Amino acid sequence: MTKAKPALQPGIADQAALWVARLDAAGNNAELSGALRLDISAWMDGDPCRTGAFLRAEAAWHMMDGRTGALDVADAGLEQGPQPQGEENQDNIPVAGAEGVDEDVVPAKHADGGDSQLHQPATAATVALDTPMSSSRRIVLRGGVAAAVAALAFIVTSSLMAGRSQHIETGLGEIRRIPLADGSLAAVNTLTEVEIALKPAQRHIVLARGEAWFQVAKDPDRPFVVEAGDVRVRAVGTAFGVQLRDNVVDVRVTEGEVEVWRVGDEANKKRVSAGELASLGQQGRTPLQPPPVETVEQALSWRDGQLVFDGSTVGEAAAQFNRYNQVKLEIADPVMAQKKMVGRFRTNEPQAFARAAAVLLDAKVDVRNDRIILSVS
Amino acid sequence: MGEALNDRRRAMIVAWVGQEILPHEAHVRAWLRRMLDPDELEDVIQQAYAQIAALSDVSHILSGRAYFFATARSIILMQVRRARVVRIETMAEMSSFESVGDEFSPERITMGRDQLAHVRQLIDALPGRCGKIIKLRKIDGLSQRQVAEMLGVSENIVENDVAKGLKLILQAMADGERDAERRITGMRENDKSQASITTRDR
Repeated sequence: MTKAKPALQPGIADQAALWVARLDAAGNNAELSGALRLDISAWMDGDPCRTGAFLRAEAAWHMMDGRTGALDVADAGLEQGPQPQGEENQDNIPVAGAEGVDEDVVPAKHADGGDSQLHQPATAATVALDTPMSSSRRIVLRGGVAAAVAALAFIVTSSLMAGRSQHIETGLGEIRRIPLADGSLAAVNTLTEVEIALKPAQRHIVLARGEAWFQVAKDPDRPFVVEAGDVRVRAVGTAFGVQLRDNVVDVRVTEGEVEVWRVGDEANKKRVSAGELASLGQQGRTPLQPPPVETVEQALSWRDGQLVFDGSTVGEAAAQFNRYNQVKLEIADPVMAQKKMVGRFRTNEPQAFARAAAVLLDAKVDVRNDRIILSVS
Repeated sequence: MGEALNDRRRAMIVAWVGQEILPHEAHVRAWLRRMLDPDELEDVIQQAYAQIAALSDVSHILSGRAYFFATARSIILMQVRRARVVRIETMAEMSSFESVGDEFSPERITMGRDQLAHVRQLIDALPGRCGKIIKLRKIDGLSQRQVAEMLGVSENIVENDVAKGLKLILQAMADGERDAERRITGMRENDKSQASITTRDR
């Protein structure tokens, strides 16, 4: 595979249909179908387009059974949700909640990028609307939602008891959404530490490391101030994200307007509006990298457990994945690392990214323990 | 990872592609046809299935339709970036993507529910012996060997007709309803406001 792009292969659809027919003829004869599978693998020969064509033919053959596929999908039994009893207990919050706190990690979300409302009934409605056939997925989601709602109840209670101060720390790959006692909502990204103090005169948040997004409940008498290094962000009623990188604080506004300034430089307060990104170097330092090309919403897709790339380089994308996963992506070839790319992935699927990148960049993928290395094939 | 688990995973993905991806292929093709020539179109579809085949898990994908559109779109954008020469129509068309792929109109949900009936129609439309064999195999649930015995033909003939039937069904899935393209065209008029995503890159 040295060509820049996989050339169109006429006839592979028909060939794939032939393989499926043969496999079907073999029926339950394990020996025969085993041998056939080897032949099919040889035909695919690592070619993703042939692999795809075979999947397509198999899927069509399966579909022709005319059964509602829910049966088969459920039989496949892969995902039973966080609780075995997830389906029965979708309304029974306390039970699911027993071990449910961790489930505040975004379990699964829209591929279609709607604003995430994981803790709200709207999610269940969207799911039910989705398709009559995806029952196993629904089990997963309902389980997740019930657990998340339970987790929410738990957090609300505990934050009230703790007297309006809350310390939140997330682990590698963990993404949490936390409702605050004032009606605001915080989404906390991977490897982040936040201290939330809702004082009578001011709602004061300290971002010690990492990244968080806040949807601020309107309260003109109680400004909402985020402290990140020597940078301050002040909002009244608005939504924005703050990311503390090595030398830079990025402020991304998704709704309304915020004021941004550095401590000691209050005269130079800067207004940042919805859709805008402000990158502030910490004192005495200037930003090293140019701002990313993704839009504010795209850069905040992590709230849905997703990473969206739209003009980032492959190297930047790999660095993003590495924020969330034990498994680290390495782009061995500097030219490849500079290629611009477009795509949408789950934060916890560096493998999917590596495979997609391999297909699209004609790269080779090596997996070594906790490393996935992409290089020129 | 155990072989059995892999098989189950595989079975789940096959079922999912049958329910959530294939039924939308005609619409994706209709959309692609507006900006690509037939060879390019076929290439994008093949690559889309290649990417889908590389998925190890599909449980996080809520809308196969949206996912299919998004995959096709990302393949085109990737090619556009590589080509460095961009056709204006392509970009205009790309910008109409969001609402074509994402939203769930009642009509589309109905289409999902009618899928079973649609599959029956496709099978009923198969010609002669091929159609008969597919019906016995798929609707009556006989094995290929049993079908051969029943019709008094060789198993080879049954296998060939199964392959032929599947090819025709795949073709029909690709062609889709005749009005699919018109529907997409109608939809697209509302979508001009979506900014072209790639232009600022150049």
